[in-house]
Amino acid sequence: MSGSQWDELAELALSRVSSAGVEYADIRLLDTTTRTISGEDRRIAHIRDSTDRGFGIRVLHRGAWGFAASSIISLEEIPRVADLAVEIAKGSASLAISKVHLAPEPVHRDRIVTPCRLDPFAVPLEEQTALLLSTMDIIQRHPGVVRSHASLWAQRDRKLFVSTEGSHLEFDLLAMQGDCTATAVHNGRFASRSFNTPHLRTGYELVRDADWAREGARIAEQAVEKVRAPAIDAGRYDLVLDPEHLSLTMHESCGHPSELDRALGYEANYAGTSFLTPDKRGTYRYGSADVNLVADNTEPGTLAATGYDDDGVSCQKWDIVREGIFVGYCTNREVAPRIKEERSRGSNRADSWGSVPMVRIANIGLEAGTSTLDDLLADVKRGIYIEGHGSYSIDQRRYNFQFGGDAFWLIENGRRTHMVRDVIYHGITPEFWGRCDGVADATHRRRYGFITCGKGQPGQSGWMTHAASHARFRRVDVISGHTKADA
Amino acid sequence: MTSSITSSWPKLTSRQEFEFLADLVMSHSTGDHTFFSLRDSHGGTTRFANNQIIQNVNLRRGHLSVTVAFGRQHGTASTTDFTAGAVREALKQAESLARLSPDDPEYLPPVGAQSYLSLPTSRPETTAAGPARRLDYAREAIGQCKMENLNAAGTVSSSTTTVGLAAETGLRAYEERTEGRFSLTVQAGDATGWSAAAHRSIDRLHVQERTLAAIIKAKRGADEPQELPPGRYTVILEPAAVAGLLSWMIWMLDAKSFYKGTSPFSGKLGSRIIDRRLSLVNQPAHADLLGNGFTHEGLPVIESGWIESGVLTQLLHDRYTAREHQIEPLTTLESPHLSGERPIGTRVDDLIRTTQRGILVTNFWYIRPVNPSDLTLTGMTRDGTFLIENGEITSAVRNFRFHESPLRAFNQVETYTAPAEAVTSETGKALVPAMRIHDFHFSSVTKF
Repeated sequence: MSGSQWDELAELALSRVSSAGVEYADIRLLDTTTRTISGEDRRIAHIRDSTDRGFGIRVLHRGAWGFAASSIISLEEIPRVADLAVEIAKGSASLAISKVHLAPEPVHRDRIVTPCRLDPFAVPLEEQTALLLSTMDIIQRHPGVVRSHASLWAQRDRKLFVSTEGSHLEFDLLAMQGDCTATAVHNGRFASRSFNTPHLRTGYELVRDADWAREGARIAEQAVEKVRAPAIDAGRYDLVLDPEHLSLTMHESCGHPSELDRALGYEANYAGTSFLTPDKRGTYRYGSADVNLVADNTEPGTLAATGYDDDGVSCQKWDIVREGIFVGYCTNREVAPRIKEERSRGSNRADSWGSVPMVRIANIGLEAGTSTLDDLLADVKRGIYIEGHGSYSIDQRRYNFQFGGDAFWLIENGRRTHMVRDVIYHGITPEFWGRCDGVADATHRRRYGFITCGKGQPGQSGWMTHAASHARFRRVDVISGHTKADA
Repeated sequence: MTSSITSSWPKLTSRQEFEFLADLVMSHSTGDHTFFSLRDSHGGTTRFANNQIIQNVNLRRGHLSVTVAFGRQHGTASTTDFTAGAVREALKQAESLARLSPDDPEYLPPVGAQSYLSLPTSRPETTAAGPARRLDYAREAIGQCKMENLNAAGTVSSSTTTVGLAAETGLRAYEERTEGRFSLTVQAGDATGWSAAAHRSIDRLHVQERTLAAIIKAKRGADEPQELPPGRYTVILEPAAVAGLLSWMIWMLDAKSFYKGTSPFSGKLGSRIIDRRLSLVNQPAHADLLGNGFTHEGLPVIESGWIESGVLTQLLHDRYTAREHQIEPLTTLESPHLSGERPIGTRVDDLIRTTQRGILVTNFWYIRPVNPSDLTLTGMTRDGTFLIENGEITSAVRNFRFHESPLRAFNQVETYTAPAEAVTSETGKALVPAMRIHDFHFSSVTKF
């Protein structure tokens, strides 16, 4: 379907709901193409191309929302769905206590395209399957490794957003990712080690630029070392966390609590609320003075940097935590006025045409410090260096968390000595970030994307990127990650 | 809201329309094997918080998928567009992917014609329910909470889905499935109470009773909760909490991992893994579970035993692994029913009354594996955690984080009730007992 046909459908939808007297409406038409190639144990298990097309109409009527969506893109379906959205909004209005007032936003007319050198959908499939097969072969040739996984994923979103306010935004967005895993067994235990080219808005160059043979051999060797490593003794340790590991720590303990809709109770029945309540903004000590957490939806290549969000608000950069003090939220046009902010931060996103947009975590990252990784390690007598993602869990207000990791090394007298296993650390968010006493400089900075951030009912997957340099945390509680009768 | 909205909903893909599309795919396919699947659904969710609607959505979504194989080369393409041109395009794309794919040594052709149980997977009252019915339920829950000066957050949803499968092997399967869901969190200041339901029939959500249950929980917790130290406690796990632990056991039952030595159950098939009084069966035909007639590959879903008197008797065998081990494939355990011999009663109160000192856990939240080798899990208590003393609830307590393996906890069961419906936001629906378990490990405490 051509762009002009989409424009006609959008006009039909918005004129239909406007004639019903709505205060505001928008339509999003999407055509999403996804390719997934996944392999396990030296075979390609699945090659799948999916096309997902549809539209969603959102209306604000009498201060309340209605939303209806359909995968049937036709001149007959548009008015049916438009009328349904209006009727649903009327129902919502019947139970309204406070009316929705949208924060103002300039009208935007723009086209956003992800720059890329290599279109992943144009790269020969044989090249991609050969890469995965050779990687799995390298992994499984390593003695002690019993299983391997490798996959590539690419997605293109062609989207049109049009609002009754006059905004008209076209998008042609790409995202790419690849990963591989080695699993080793020893003495009745098993352990895995992974490598990934993280989700970014880029082309296939992300995959080509990585040395999969070297990384496959490395993770195979480390999986074997990990499963044979001594278990950690519980106690307090200094932790040095790598950027990939920190991306998840930030996501759970800073990203989610900084979503204003959560803080206002919108997610009370599912994802939860937030300990970062509006009264704390500007005064609450979230972490040490070394902790600066910045939301940046303008950085090219990052997942939330789409030019505009699904409110039609342009992407921005702002502080969440500055010198340890909580100062800012992720917002949309609906909730920003509730804390007397004049403009949305532009963090309202839906995961498809069939989903209603909601506040999502921005690209929140830890601002670089001045140390090097060697500096951070040098000042640790007995600690643990952690790489990658492992087990994770956090309470529904984002206070009490627990994290594992993908690989752990003991630090003794300023040097990484050997791997250990079953490391789990836990704490209370502001106490943990209060223990941060060093962040590595920008040369250590890495970016990691998330595409499965769960929130909302029905559940939606949020996309965002978290960047960090290595950081050090003092005297953190570590426990052993297995079940003991006398634990 | 007018009833015309409901009556004007588009009709979902009928069996005849599905057959037409399946024949279209089969007749045009050049593959050695062709598998076609279709899902067509409509439904919606009314979501509320702070005693008003915050999100009210309706969705019509179709999805069809074609897998083509040439020998052991296979590829899959899917689309949301059901027009004949789009279906042929998906077929061509699947053929193109298959021709370029390497041989898959584990590929198996689609299953042939099958016989399925005729299950009551669809209820007309759910199909007929639309935004107005969902709004009525939301109004009921919000109204009750407002009368008590409490805050309601929750959802009401309903959906109807038609599912069809076909292959050149003669496979043909078609089923209509409906589902209604209700969940509610009641906030009384800092305290919360929760309840949830899911059923094929939207008439069976019992919104009024479940709202009352959540209100009672929230009001019980409204006094300042005590902070108890982490440690080992006798706990009473309500059915939702038991289901949370059980779900992770079920998700880890994969036979391929078992044979590769990367499963917590490796070496344990045929051994006792939980209390000898407990048994687990899959009961797709149970009226209060959400069983389907067939799997996504077209295999019949059958009643099957998995744990008998505490002994693990079955694993999830995909078709390839099953063939390797010369047994019948069994790929789903979606209607779990865990029960025990001689339950103490039917209600959680029956357990509370006979407990000297313990912690009552309404639900767990954010359960994740810590160590897949021994199935150590972690997670938080949520929405109603209380101290029991001398057979009575005496106070609310701050929420705990647990660090425990169900393989250990389900061996420390003291007693339990008869199975009851359990629905959580993180699991499907199960029938499981409430349980009293001794020495359950809480590793830390949170701030509320």
